[in-house]
Amino acid sequence: MKQRVIAVVLTCLLVLLMVSGCTGTTTGFAPAGSSENKKLVVGTNAEFPPFEYIDDNGKPDGFDMALIKAIGEKMGKEVDIQNMEFDSLVSSIGTKIDLAIAGMTVTEERQNTVDFSDPYYTAVQYVILPADSEIATYEDLSGKAIGVQLGTTGDFDASDIEEADSSTKVSRYNKGVDAVNDLLNGKVDCVIIDKNPAETFVSKHAEELVAVDGSQFGFEEESYAIAMPKGDKELVDAVNKALQEIKSEGTFDKLVEEYIGN
Amino acid sequence: MGELEQKFAAAFLTEGRWILYFKGLGVTLGIAVLAAILGVIFGTVLGIMKLSFREDGKKTLWNILATAYVDVIRGTPSVLQLLIMWFIVFATWNNGVAVASISFGLNSAAYVSEIVRGGILAVDVGQMEAGRSLGLSKAMTMRYIILPQALKNMVPPLGNEFITLLKETAIVGYVSLTDLTRAANQIASRTYEAFMPLIGTAVIYFVVIKILTLLLGVLERRLRESDQR
Repeated sequence: MKQRVIAVVLTCLLVLLMVSGCTGTTTGFAPAGSSENKKLVVGTNAEFPPFEYIDDNGKPDGFDMALIKAIGEKMGKEVDIQNMEFDSLVSSIGTKIDLAIAGMTVTEERQNTVDFSDPYYTAVQYVILPADSEIATYEDLSGKAIGVQLGTTGDFDASDIEEADSSTKVSRYNKGVDAVNDLLNGKVDCVIIDKNPAETFVSKHAEELVAVDGSQFGFEEESYAIAMPKGDKELVDAVNKALQEIKSEGTFDKLVEEYIGN
Repeated sequence: MGELEQKFAAAFLTEGRWILYFKGLGVTLGIAVLAAILGVIFGTVLGIMKLSFREDGKKTLWNILATAYVDVIRGTPSVLQLLIMWFIVFATWNNGVAVASISFGLNSAAYVSEIVRGGILAVDVGQMEAGRSLGLSKAMTMRYIILPQALKNMVPPLGNEFITLLKETAIVGYVSLTDLTRAANQIASRTYEAFMPLIGTAVIYFVVIKILTLLLGVLERRLRESDQR
Protein backbone atom coordinates (compact mmCIF):
# COMPACT_ATOMS: atom_id res chain seq x y z
CA MET A 1 0.00 0.00 0.00
CA LYS A 2 2.74 2.39 1.02
CA GLN A 3 4.60 1.70 -2.20
CA ARG A 4 1.52 2.50 -4.23
CA VAL A 5 1.09 5.84 -2.47
CA ILE A 6 4.70 6.70 -3.20
CA ALA A 7 4.25 5.67 -6.82
CA VAL A 8 1.19 7.91 -7.22
CA VAL A 9 2.95 10.88 -5.60
CA LEU A 10 5.98 10.40 -7.84
CA THR A 11 3.81 10.22 -10.97
CA CYS A 12 2.02 13.43 -10.01
CA LEU A 13 5.35 15.14 -9.41
CA LEU A 14 6.62 14.01 -12.78
CA VAL A 15 3.51 15.31 -14.56
CA LEU A 16 3.76 18.62 -12.71
CA LEU A 17 7.41 18.91 -13.68
CA MET A 18 6.60 18.25 -17.31
CA VAL A 19 3.77 20.76 -17.29
CA SER A 20 5.76 23.51 -15.57
CA GLY A 21 8.66 22.76 -17.92
CA CYS A 22 6.34 23.35 -20.86
CA THR A 23 5.07 26.69 -19.62
CA GLY A 24 8.64 27.73 -18.94
CA THR A 25 9.70 27.08 -22.51
CA THR A 26 6.67 28.78 -24.05
CA THR A 27 7.28 32.04 -22.24
CA GLY A 28 11.04 31.98 -22.55
CA PHE A 29 11.25 30.79 -26.14
CA ALA A 30 12.56 33.39 -28.60
CA PRO A 31 10.39 33.35 -31.75
CA ALA A 32 12.15 32.27 -34.88
CA GLY A 33 12.00 35.73 -36.43
CA SER A 34 13.38 37.91 -33.66
CA SER A 35 15.61 40.57 -35.09
CA GLU A 36 18.77 38.47 -35.40
CA ASN A 37 16.91 35.99 -37.64
CA LYS A 38 16.33 36.56 -41.34
CA LYS A 39 13.12 34.57 -41.44
CA LEU A 40 9.61 35.81 -40.77
CA VAL A 41 7.39 32.88 -39.80
CA VAL A 42 3.82 33.69 -40.75
CA GLY A 43 0.77 31.75 -39.63
CA THR A 44 -2.41 31.63 -41.67
CA ASN A 45 -5.49 29.50 -42.21
CA ALA A 46 -5.74 28.97 -45.94
CA GLU A 47 -9.50 28.39 -45.92
CA PHE A 48 -10.61 31.94 -46.47
CA PRO A 49 -10.77 32.91 -50.13
CA PRO A 50 -9.83 35.33 -51.59
CA PHE A 51 -7.64 36.38 -48.66
CA GLU A 52 -5.97 33.02 -48.26
CA TYR A 53 -6.47 29.71 -49.95
CA ILE A 54 -4.43 26.84 -51.31
CA ASP A 55 -3.62 27.49 -54.96
CA ASP A 56 -3.38 24.94 -57.76
CA ASN A 57 0.21 24.20 -56.80
CA GLY A 58 -0.76 23.32 -53.25
CA LYS A 59 0.75 26.49 -51.81
CA PRO A 60 -1.05 29.13 -49.73
CA ASP A 61 -1.99 32.06 -51.93
CA GLY A 62 -4.33 35.02 -51.80
CA PHE A 63 -4.43 38.69 -50.89
CA ASP A 64 -3.03 38.28 -47.39
CA MET A 65 -0.22 36.08 -48.62
CA ALA A 66 0.79 38.56 -51.30
CA LEU A 67 0.57 41.39 -48.80
CA ILE A 68 2.71 39.70 -46.17
CA LYS A 69 5.31 38.75 -48.76
CA ALA A 70 5.48 42.42 -49.80
CA ILE A 71 5.82 43.40 -46.14
CA GLY A 72 8.53 40.78 -45.60
CA GLU A 73 10.42 42.16 -48.58
CA LYS A 74 10.31 45.67 -47.11
CA MET A 75 11.59 44.31 -43.80
CA GLY A 76 14.35 42.39 -45.56
CA LYS A 77 13.08 39.04 -44.32
CA GLU A 78 12.21 35.80 -45.98
CA VAL A 79 8.57 34.89 -45.41
CA ASP A 80 7.87 31.32 -44.30
CA ILE A 81 4.14 30.55 -44.34
CA GLN A 82 2.65 28.00 -41.95
CA ASN A 83 -0.90 26.87 -42.63
CA MET A 84 -2.89 25.89 -39.52
CA GLU A 85 -6.38 25.85 -37.99
CA PHE A 86 -7.80 29.33 -37.52
CA ASP A 87 -8.54 28.81 -33.85
CA SER A 88 -4.93 27.79 -33.20
CA LEU A 89 -3.50 30.95 -34.73
CA VAL A 90 -3.71 33.37 -31.83
CA SER A 91 -2.30 30.97 -29.27
CA SER A 92 0.62 30.18 -31.61
CA ILE A 93 1.73 33.78 -32.03
CA GLY A 94 5.07 34.44 -30.38
CA THR A 95 5.91 30.76 -30.07
CA LYS A 96 5.33 28.79 -33.25
CA ILE A 97 4.88 31.81 -35.50
CA ASP A 98 6.04 35.42 -35.46
CA LEU A 99 2.77 36.87 -36.67
CA ALA A 100 -0.57 35.84 -38.11
CA ILE A 101 -2.29 37.22 -41.18
CA ALA A 102 -5.60 35.51 -41.84
CA GLY A 103 -8.30 38.09 -42.42
CA MET A 104 -8.26 38.45 -38.66
CA THR A 105 -10.68 40.94 -37.19
CA VAL A 106 -9.47 43.29 -34.47
CA THR A 107 -11.48 42.55 -31.32
CA GLU A 108 -11.05 43.63 -27.71
CA GLU A 109 -10.68 40.05 -26.53
CA ARG A 110 -7.91 39.36 -29.02
CA GLN A 111 -6.18 42.61 -28.06
CA ASN A 112 -5.77 41.19 -24.56
CA THR A 113 -3.37 38.54 -25.88
CA VAL A 114 -1.89 40.01 -29.09
CA ASP A 115 -0.97 43.36 -30.61
CA PHE A 116 -2.44 44.29 -33.97
CA SER A 117 -0.93 46.22 -36.88
CA ASP A 118 -2.83 49.11 -38.42
CA PRO A 119 -5.98 47.73 -40.04
CA TYR A 120 -5.50 46.98 -43.74
CA TYR A 121 -9.03 46.10 -44.75
CA THR A 122 -12.58 46.66 -43.56
CA ALA A 123 -15.34 44.17 -44.09
CA VAL A 124 -18.70 43.12 -42.77
CA GLN A 125 -20.06 39.67 -42.02
CA TYR A 126 -22.31 38.23 -44.72
CA VAL A 127 -25.13 35.78 -44.36
CA ILE A 128 -25.31 32.99 -46.95
CA LEU A 129 -28.87 31.77 -47.45
CA PRO A 130 -30.61 29.28 -49.71
CA ALA A 131 -32.14 31.23 -52.60
CA ASP A 132 -35.66 30.50 -51.35
CA SER A 133 -34.98 31.27 -47.67
CA GLU A 134 -37.41 33.45 -45.72
CA ILE A 135 -34.72 34.71 -43.32
CA ALA A 136 -34.51 38.49 -43.75
CA THR A 137 -33.87 40.12 -40.38
CA TYR A 138 -31.69 39.60 -37.32
CA GLU A 139 -34.73 38.33 -35.42
CA ASP A 140 -35.31 35.66 -38.08
CA LEU A 141 -31.90 34.18 -37.27
CA SER A 142 -32.82 33.25 -33.71
CA GLY A 143 -33.97 29.68 -33.33
CA LYS A 144 -32.36 28.67 -36.63
CA ALA A 145 -29.48 26.31 -37.36
CA ILE A 146 -26.49 28.54 -38.12
CA GLY A 147 -23.22 27.35 -39.64
CA VAL A 148 -19.95 29.19 -38.92
CA GLN A 149 -16.20 28.64 -38.95
CA LEU A 150 -14.86 28.00 -35.45
CA GLY A 151 -13.34 31.05 -33.76
CA THR A 152 -14.26 33.55 -36.49
CA THR A 153 -16.33 36.73 -36.14
CA GLY A 154 -19.27 34.83 -37.61
CA ASP A 155 -18.88 32.35 -34.74
CA PHE A 156 -18.99 35.20 -32.20
CA ASP A 157 -22.08 36.76 -33.85
CA ALA A 158 -23.84 33.38 -33.95
CA SER A 159 -22.88 32.73 -30.32
CA ASP A 160 -24.58 36.01 -29.35
CA ILE A 161 -27.75 34.88 -31.09
CA GLU A 162 -27.48 31.47 -29.41
CA GLU A 163 -27.05 33.09 -26.01
CA ALA A 164 -30.18 35.21 -26.45
CA ASP A 165 -32.26 32.26 -27.67
CA SER A 166 -31.09 28.80 -26.67
CA SER A 167 -33.19 27.10 -29.37
CA THR A 168 -30.66 28.43 -31.87
CA LYS A 169 -28.24 25.72 -32.97
CA VAL A 170 -24.76 26.83 -33.94
CA SER A 171 -22.61 24.36 -35.90
CA ARG A 172 -18.93 25.25 -35.81
CA TYR A 173 -16.78 23.91 -38.65
CA ASN A 174 -13.04 23.83 -39.23
CA LYS A 175 -13.55 25.31 -42.67
CA GLY A 176 -16.04 27.70 -44.22
CA VAL A 177 -16.55 25.35 -47.14
CA ASP A 178 -17.78 22.59 -44.79
CA ALA A 179 -20.42 24.97 -43.43
CA VAL A 180 -21.49 25.85 -46.98
CA ASN A 181 -21.64 22.15 -47.84
CA ASP A 182 -24.01 21.51 -44.97
CA LEU A 183 -26.07 24.53 -46.03
CA LEU A 184 -26.42 22.97 -49.49
CA ASN A 185 -27.41 19.67 -47.86
CA GLY A 186 -30.00 21.46 -45.74
CA LYS A 187 -28.30 20.66 -42.42
CA VAL A 188 -28.06 24.34 -41.49
CA ASP A 189 -30.39 27.23 -42.40
CA CYS A 190 -27.73 29.84 -43.02
CA VAL A 191 -24.00 30.48 -42.78
CA ILE A 192 -22.48 33.61 -41.25
CA ILE A 193 -19.07 34.31 -42.74
CA ASP A 194 -16.94 37.22 -43.97
CA LYS A 195 -18.00 39.04 -47.11
CA ASN A 196 -15.37 37.89 -49.58
CA PRO A 197 -15.43 34.17 -48.88
CA ALA A 198 -19.25 34.42 -48.86
CA GLU A 199 -19.20 35.85 -52.37
CA THR A 200 -16.67 33.31 -53.55
CA PHE A 201 -18.75 30.41 -52.23
CA VAL A 202 -22.02 31.79 -53.60
CA SER A 203 -20.49 32.39 -57.04
CA LYS A 204 -19.88 28.62 -57.18
CA HIS A 205 -23.52 27.85 -56.35
CA ALA A 206 -25.29 30.83 -57.89
CA GLU A 207 -28.49 28.83 -58.49
CA GLU A 208 -29.03 27.64 -54.93
CA LEU A 209 -27.45 30.28 -52.69
CA VAL A 210 -27.49 34.02 -52.10
CA ALA A 211 -25.13 36.15 -50.00
CA VAL A 212 -26.72 38.97 -48.05
CA ASP A 213 -24.83 41.97 -46.67
CA GLY A 214 -24.76 41.53 -42.91
CA SER A 215 -25.36 45.25 -42.30
CA GLN A 216 -28.97 44.43 -43.19
CA PHE A 217 -28.91 42.15 -40.17
CA GLY A 218 -27.24 44.78 -38.02
CA PHE A 219 -23.74 43.23 -37.99
CA GLU A 220 -21.07 45.86 -37.44
CA GLU A 221 -18.24 46.67 -39.80
CA GLU A 222 -14.90 45.23 -38.75
CA SER A 223 -11.23 45.73 -39.55
CA TYR A 224 -8.70 43.11 -40.55
CA ALA A 225 -5.19 43.46 -39.16
CA ILE A 226 -2.00 41.47 -38.69
CA ALA A 227 -1.65 39.93 -35.22
CA MET A 228 1.71 39.97 -33.45
CA PRO A 229 3.04 39.01 -30.00
CA LYS A 230 1.80 41.24 -27.19
CA GLY A 231 4.32 43.96 -26.36
CA ASP A 232 6.65 43.39 -29.32
CA LYS A 233 6.66 47.07 -30.26
CA GLU A 234 9.67 46.69 -32.53
CA LEU A 235 7.89 44.19 -34.76
CA VAL A 236 4.60 46.14 -34.76
CA ASP A 237 6.40 49.32 -35.79
CA ALA A 238 8.36 47.55 -38.52
CA VAL A 239 5.22 45.95 -39.96
CA ASN A 240 3.25 49.20 -39.82
CA LYS A 241 6.06 51.06 -41.55
CA ALA A 242 6.24 48.45 -44.29
CA LEU A 243 2.45 48.48 -44.68
CA GLN A 244 2.49 52.29 -44.98
CA GLU A 245 5.16 52.15 -47.69
CA ILE A 246 3.26 49.52 -49.64
CA LYS A 247 0.14 51.65 -49.51
CA SER A 248 1.84 54.87 -50.60
CA GLU A 249 3.64 53.11 -53.46
CA GLY A 250 0.35 51.88 -54.83
CA THR A 251 1.31 48.21 -54.51
CA PHE A 252 -1.52 47.74 -52.00
CA ASP A 253 -4.21 48.91 -54.42
CA LYS A 254 -2.75 46.71 -57.12
CA LEU A 255 -3.02 43.68 -54.82
CA VAL A 256 -6.62 44.57 -53.93
CA GLU A 257 -7.43 44.75 -57.62
CA GLU A 258 -5.65 41.50 -58.39
CA TYR A 259 -7.13 39.39 -55.60
CA ILE A 260 -10.33 41.02 -54.39
CA GLY A 261 -11.63 42.96 -57.37
CA ASN A 262 -14.54 45.37 -56.81
CA MET B 1 0.34 31.23 -9.15
CA GLY B 2 -2.08 34.15 -9.42
CA GLU B 3 -1.77 34.08 -13.19
CA LEU B 4 -2.42 30.35 -13.32
CA GLU B 5 -5.55 30.76 -11.21
CA GLN B 6 -6.74 33.47 -13.54
CA LYS B 7 -6.18 31.25 -16.56
CA PHE B 8 -7.96 28.40 -14.82
CA ALA B 9 -10.93 30.66 -14.08
CA ALA B 10 -11.02 31.91 -17.68
CA ALA B 11 -10.89 28.39 -19.08
CA PHE B 12 -13.36 26.67 -16.75
CA LEU B 13 -15.45 29.08 -14.70
CA THR B 14 -16.31 32.35 -16.46
CA GLU B 15 -19.53 32.40 -18.42
CA GLY B 16 -20.35 28.93 -17.14
CA ARG B 17 -17.74 27.37 -19.42
CA TRP B 18 -17.63 24.18 -17.39
CA ILE B 19 -21.11 23.45 -18.76
CA LEU B 20 -19.58 23.28 -22.23
CA TYR B 21 -17.07 20.62 -21.08
CA PHE B 22 -19.87 18.72 -19.39
CA LYS B 23 -22.04 18.75 -22.49
CA GLY B 24 -18.98 17.84 -24.55
CA LEU B 25 -18.23 14.88 -22.29
CA GLY B 26 -21.87 13.83 -22.69
CA VAL B 27 -21.50 13.83 -26.48
CA THR B 28 -18.19 11.94 -26.26
CA LEU B 29 -19.63 9.25 -23.98
CA GLY B 30 -22.91 9.08 -25.91
CA ILE B 31 -21.19 8.44 -29.22
CA ALA B 32 -18.73 5.99 -27.67
CA VAL B 33 -21.43 3.93 -25.94
CA LEU B 34 -23.77 3.82 -28.95
CA ALA B 35 -20.86 2.97 -31.25
CA ALA B 36 -19.66 0.25 -28.87
CA ILE B 37 -23.09 -1.38 -28.79
CA LEU B 38 -23.33 -1.32 -32.57
CA GLY B 39 -19.71 -2.42 -32.85
CA VAL B 40 -20.10 -5.41 -30.54
CA ILE B 41 -23.31 -6.66 -32.18
CA PHE B 42 -22.16 -6.20 -35.77
CA GLY B 43 -18.60 -7.21 -34.91
CA THR B 44 -19.75 -10.52 -33.41
CA VAL B 45 -21.72 -11.28 -36.56
CA LEU B 46 -18.68 -10.42 -38.68
CA GLY B 47 -16.38 -12.48 -36.47
CA ILE B 48 -18.58 -15.55 -36.78
CA MET B 49 -18.85 -14.97 -40.54
CA LYS B 50 -15.07 -14.96 -40.74
CA LEU B 51 -14.99 -18.38 -39.08
CA SER B 52 -17.25 -20.09 -41.57
CA PHE B 53 -15.57 -22.54 -43.93
CA ARG B 54 -16.98 -25.00 -46.43
CA GLU B 55 -16.53 -28.75 -46.03
CA ASP B 56 -13.57 -28.66 -48.42
CA GLY B 57 -11.83 -26.05 -46.28
CA LYS B 58 -12.45 -23.13 -48.64
CA LYS B 59 -13.96 -19.83 -47.45
CA THR B 60 -17.73 -19.42 -47.70
CA LEU B 61 -19.27 -16.36 -49.39
CA TRP B 62 -20.08 -14.97 -45.91
CA ASN B 63 -16.45 -15.29 -44.95
CA ILE B 64 -15.27 -13.50 -48.10
CA LEU B 65 -17.74 -10.64 -47.59
CA ALA B 66 -16.77 -10.16 -43.94
CA THR B 67 -13.06 -10.30 -44.77
CA ALA B 68 -13.50 -7.67 -47.48
CA TYR B 69 -15.44 -5.41 -45.09
CA VAL B 70 -12.78 -5.66 -42.39
CA ASP B 71 -10.07 -4.94 -44.97
CA VAL B 72 -11.79 -1.78 -46.22
CA ILE B 73 -12.53 -0.42 -42.74
CA ARG B 74 -9.07 -1.15 -41.38
CA GLY B 75 -7.48 0.19 -44.54
CA THR B 76 -8.94 3.71 -44.30
CA PRO B 77 -8.57 6.39 -41.60
CA SER B 78 -11.57 6.73 -39.32
CA VAL B 79 -11.67 10.50 -39.75
CA LEU B 80 -12.14 9.94 -43.47
CA GLN B 81 -14.91 7.41 -42.81
CA LEU B 82 -16.61 9.98 -40.59
CA LEU B 83 -16.40 12.70 -43.24
CA ILE B 84 -17.74 10.32 -45.90
CA MET B 85 -20.65 9.36 -43.62
CA TRP B 86 -21.46 13.00 -42.78
CA PHE B 87 -21.02 14.69 -46.15
CA ILE B 88 -21.91 11.87 -48.56
CA VAL B 89 -23.78 8.86 -47.14
CA PHE B 90 -26.01 10.74 -44.71
CA ALA B 91 -25.71 14.09 -46.51
CA THR B 92 -29.18 15.23 -45.49
CA TRP B 93 -29.46 13.62 -42.07
CA ASN B 94 -28.93 16.29 -39.45
CA ASN B 95 -28.47 14.13 -36.34
CA GLY B 96 -24.74 14.45 -35.79
CA VAL B 97 -24.52 12.13 -32.80
CA ALA B 98 -26.38 9.39 -34.69
CA VAL B 99 -24.22 9.71 -37.81
CA ALA B 100 -21.03 9.72 -35.73
CA SER B 101 -22.22 6.72 -33.70
CA ILE B 102 -22.95 4.75 -36.84
CA SER B 103 -19.64 5.74 -38.37
CA PHE B 104 -17.63 4.75 -35.30
CA GLY B 105 -19.78 1.67 -34.71
CA LEU B 106 -19.13 0.37 -38.23
CA ASN B 107 -15.46 1.12 -37.75
CA SER B 108 -15.26 -0.57 -34.37
CA ALA B 109 -17.12 -3.64 -35.68
CA ALA B 110 -14.16 -4.46 -37.91
CA TYR B 111 -11.81 -4.54 -34.94
CA VAL B 112 -14.32 -6.32 -32.70
CA SER B 113 -14.75 -9.04 -35.35
CA GLU B 114 -11.07 -9.91 -35.03
CA ILE B 115 -11.37 -9.98 -31.24
CA VAL B 116 -14.37 -12.32 -31.46
CA ARG B 117 -12.62 -14.55 -33.99
CA GLY B 118 -9.48 -14.66 -31.88
CA GLY B 119 -11.50 -15.38 -28.73
CA ILE B 120 -13.30 -18.32 -30.32
CA LEU B 121 -10.14 -19.74 -31.93
CA ALA B 122 -8.40 -19.61 -28.56
CA VAL B 123 -10.84 -22.20 -27.18
CA ASP B 124 -9.29 -25.63 -27.67
CA VAL B 125 -10.65 -27.47 -30.69
CA GLY B 126 -11.17 -30.50 -28.44
CA GLN B 127 -14.06 -28.67 -26.78
CA MET B 128 -16.01 -28.72 -30.04
CA GLU B 129 -15.16 -32.36 -30.60
CA ALA B 130 -16.23 -33.23 -27.06
CA GLY B 131 -19.52 -31.37 -27.45
CA ARG B 132 -20.24 -33.06 -30.77
CA SER B 133 -19.42 -36.51 -29.42
CA LEU B 134 -21.86 -35.90 -26.57
CA GLY B 135 -24.57 -35.49 -29.20
CA LEU B 136 -24.86 -31.70 -29.16
CA SER B 137 -25.38 -29.97 -32.48
CA LYS B 138 -22.72 -27.64 -33.85
CA ALA B 139 -24.81 -24.56 -32.93
CA MET B 140 -25.54 -25.85 -29.42
CA THR B 141 -21.87 -26.62 -28.76
CA MET B 142 -21.07 -23.09 -29.94
CA ARG B 143 -23.76 -21.56 -27.75
CA TYR B 144 -23.26 -23.56 -24.52
CA ILE B 145 -19.63 -24.64 -24.55
CA ILE B 146 -17.46 -22.52 -26.85
CA LEU B 147 -18.91 -19.01 -26.51
CA PRO B 148 -18.97 -18.87 -22.68
CA GLN B 149 -15.27 -19.72 -22.67
CA ALA B 150 -14.50 -17.46 -25.61
CA LEU B 151 -16.21 -14.53 -23.87
CA LYS B 152 -13.64 -14.60 -21.08
CA ASN B 153 -10.86 -14.39 -23.65
CA MET B 154 -12.59 -11.46 -25.33
CA VAL B 155 -13.16 -9.18 -22.35
CA PRO B 156 -9.66 -7.67 -22.06
CA PRO B 157 -9.28 -6.84 -25.78
CA LEU B 158 -12.88 -5.60 -25.93
CA GLY B 159 -12.18 -3.24 -23.03
CA ASN B 160 -9.11 -2.10 -24.91
CA GLU B 161 -11.22 -1.48 -28.02
CA PHE B 162 -13.77 0.56 -26.07
CA ILE B 163 -11.07 2.76 -24.58
CA THR B 164 -9.59 3.34 -28.04
CA LEU B 165 -13.05 4.13 -29.35
CA LEU B 166 -13.74 6.63 -26.59
CA LYS B 167 -10.59 8.56 -27.42
CA GLU B 168 -11.06 8.27 -31.16
CA THR B 169 -14.34 10.20 -30.92
CA ALA B 170 -12.15 13.29 -30.38
CA ILE B 171 -12.29 13.82 -34.16
CA VAL B 172 -16.04 14.52 -34.37
CA GLY B 173 -15.25 18.24 -34.31
CA TYR B 174 -14.62 17.77 -38.03
CA VAL B 175 -18.36 17.47 -38.58
CA SER B 176 -19.21 20.36 -36.26
CA LEU B 177 -20.17 18.26 -33.24
CA THR B 178 -19.08 19.66 -29.89
CA ASP B 179 -17.49 16.77 -28.03
CA LEU B 180 -15.06 17.18 -25.14
CA THR B 181 -12.05 17.94 -27.35
CA ARG B 182 -14.04 20.37 -29.48
CA ALA B 183 -15.33 22.10 -26.36
CA ALA B 184 -11.72 22.69 -25.32
CA ASN B 185 -10.88 24.04 -28.78
CA GLN B 186 -13.91 26.27 -28.73
CA ILE B 187 -12.97 27.74 -25.36
CA ALA B 188 -9.35 28.18 -26.45
CA SER B 189 -10.62 30.10 -29.48
CA ARG B 190 -12.43 32.47 -27.08
CA THR B 191 -9.77 32.96 -24.43
CA TYR B 192 -6.77 32.59 -26.77
CA GLU B 193 -5.14 30.40 -24.12
CA ALA B 194 -4.68 26.81 -25.22
CA PHE B 195 -2.91 25.59 -22.07
CA MET B 196 -5.70 25.22 -19.53
CA PRO B 197 -8.45 23.85 -21.79
CA LEU B 198 -6.13 21.26 -23.33
CA ILE B 199 -4.50 20.06 -20.10
CA GLY B 200 -7.87 20.12 -18.30
CA THR B 201 -9.48 18.08 -21.06
CA ALA B 202 -6.64 15.58 -20.98
CA VAL B 203 -7.23 15.14 -17.25
CA ILE B 204 -10.97 14.60 -17.82
CA TYR B 205 -10.31 11.92 -20.46
CA PHE B 206 -7.78 10.27 -18.18
CA VAL B 207 -10.12 10.15 -15.19
CA VAL B 208 -13.01 8.76 -17.25
CA ILE B 209 -10.81 6.05 -18.75
CA LYS B 210 -9.25 5.22 -15.38
CA ILE B 211 -12.74 4.65 -13.94
CA LEU B 212 -13.58 2.52 -16.96
CA THR B 213 -10.40 0.46 -16.49
CA LEU B 214 -11.30 -0.22 -12.87
CA LEU B 215 -14.82 -1.33 -13.84
CA LEU B 216 -13.41 -3.63 -16.51
CA GLY B 217 -11.09 -5.14 -13.91
CA VAL B 218 -14.06 -5.93 -11.68
CA LEU B 219 -15.92 -7.53 -14.59
CA GLU B 220 -12.92 -9.65 -15.49
CA ARG B 221 -12.50 -10.90 -11.94
CA ARG B 222 -16.19 -11.85 -11.74
CA LEU B 223 -15.90 -13.81 -14.98
CA ARG B 224 -12.85 -15.67 -13.68
CA GLU B 225 -14.47 -16.62 -10.37
CA SER B 226 -15.41 -20.09 -11.60
CA ASP B 227 -11.95 -20.80 -12.97
CA GLN B 228 -9.99 -23.47 -11.09
CA ARG B 229 -6.50 -22.30 -11.71
